[in-house]
Amino acid sequence: MSTATAPTASTASPTHAPRSPYHLTFPRVVRSEWLKLLSLRSTWWSLAITVALSVGISLLMASALRGFDAGFAPVMVIVMPMQFTMLVAGILGAIAITGEYSTGMIRSTLTAEPRRGAVLVAKALVVAVVLAVTTAITYAIAALATAPILKTAIDWSDPKTSWFPLLAGVFAMAMFALIGLGFGFIVRNGAGAIAATVGVLFVLPIVLSMFSFAGEGWKWIVDASAYLPVSGAQSATTAGGEDVLRGVATLAAWPAALLLGAWASLRGRDA
Amino acid sequence: MIVAENLTKRYGSTTAVDDVSFTVRPGQVTGFLGPNGAGKSTTMRMIVGLDAPSAGRVSVGGHRYTQSRSPLTEVGVLLDAKAVHTGRSARGHLRAMAATHGIANTRVDEVIALTGLEAVAGKRAGKFSLGMGQRLGIAAALLGDPQTLILDEPVNGLDPEGVRWVRQLVRHLAGEGRTVLLSSHLMSEMSQTADHVIVLGRGRVIADAPLPELVRAWTRNEVLVRTPRASDLAAALGSPDVTVTDAGDGGLLVAGVSARAIGDLAAERGIPLHELTPRTGSLEEAYMALTEGAVQYKTKEIA
Repeated sequence: MSTATAPTASTASPTHAPRSPYHLTFPRVVRSEWLKLLSLRSTWWSLAITVALSVGISLLMASALRGFDAGFAPVMVIVMPMQFTMLVAGILGAIAITGEYSTGMIRSTLTAEPRRGAVLVAKALVVAVVLAVTTAITYAIAALATAPILKTAIDWSDPKTSWFPLLAGVFAMAMFALIGLGFGFIVRNGAGAIAATVGVLFVLPIVLSMFSFAGEGWKWIVDASAYLPVSGAQSATTAGGEDVLRGVATLAAWPAALLLGAWASLRGRDA
Repeated sequence: MIVAENLTKRYGSTTAVDDVSFTVRPGQVTGFLGPNGAGKSTTMRMIVGLDAPSAGRVSVGGHRYTQSRSPLTEVGVLLDAKAVHTGRSARGHLRAMAATHGIANTRVDEVIALTGLEAVAGKRAGKFSLGMGQRLGIAAALLGDPQTLILDEPVNGLDPEGVRWVRQLVRHLAGEGRTVLLSSHLMSEMSQTADHVIVLGRGRVIADAPLPELVRAWTRNEVLVRTPRASDLAAALGSPDVTVTDAGDGGLLVAGVSARAIGDLAAERGIPLHELTPRTGSLEEAYMALTEGAVQYKTKEIA
């Protein structure tokens, strides 16, 4: 057939330097992930729930603590709702990727950016930043809203009982979301990833704490529970606490390990 | 240009694609045919790096797809219409895809207009009909104005206008010197669209030829003749290279001799003819003949 030898056949150049201005860059992939996360209603619902739940609980605690001295720094009123909102953060992280697998979107994502590591890093960055910003906004609202109610005001001149716990809280929420994201990449299934996330964040601490009733031989299990993400968050956010750095390290280690597993899974398996 | 060399994909003990080699050339539309489960979609997924080959390799434009720094401008791909998040609007989906390459939103609006999605661009993709989803998939494939197009069943679920539009689009793009690989189960549509055909059966290439050549090789040209003196005509046509079969109702199916020769012969012998219809083989007949032994999920003959 004559068209087989048409001159156009030779235009396939051996170099593949992009000729058009349109080509991949990492910031562009991050921007794409940003657009993707914020163009879903589920994201906005999750974030709205996080803010409302967190500020609401802070207000309740501030009111409840008016009458007596609770024995902890007033800043804890703002940070403590994390025990509940961490689940929303983890679930948001999980569905940020499992939603792509269940709908087939992942195939569009990976044909647009075939370097899978870049997709993983961009997604993690966006999820972490969105949760950090949301938590910072939440804390600002909660600080303003609880200020008139609190018996003793937060002493902003002492970072150990003001800024540090809040920063640790912002960091923790971003890490909870990344734990969800890591499980999402590994499990690929929404229900499974959420179960794993809730299991590690919520169920495991309860199960391990039950062993505190057991004998000395089981003590190591109770000790190990200090290295759960939630325990890390508690250590990191405790105002004037001694184990702040260990808490931060624990919080960072979980997503780091899970995202490493996620990268291996994403790289090695067919999409 | 897409070049596959000894491409193989195994899932456990089953081999979905078995040592497949072919070249898809620019400037023409190449049809990718084969029964369900023949390995077409798996091959297409391997071309764009979604599935890793168990053996062999495949390149697009001279290099592996995954090495491209500008995949959307090099290759436009529609693998299935469902590669879209159901919670995102069509415009949102296309903008997110475009953002990876810094493609402007004006181009997003262009492909939306081109595929006729203006009215529904703000609607969530989960609410789309099959045809609308297909148009969105085609819009995404065209986003980077790519040199190569890989379309898996693009007309599936499209209305007749859409089917015709896809045909004209891919013919136009091939005419500009681009490479087009297109799969479809609609043989009549394929015969109007493709220049070249690659047929897969049970994971192997069972044909790779220009479409007219394939049809000629795998079908018979026959002539339907109707005459009140069928047996006389059959006797007159008797020759080793001519086969005559009874088509019933005074009709004969004659192969191996042209309609003109039959007409001349009948006139010479004074045999009246009521019908003389040349029947050329179709792509569908060629395809059926080719894949007869390669169909994995066979239906029962309707009695």
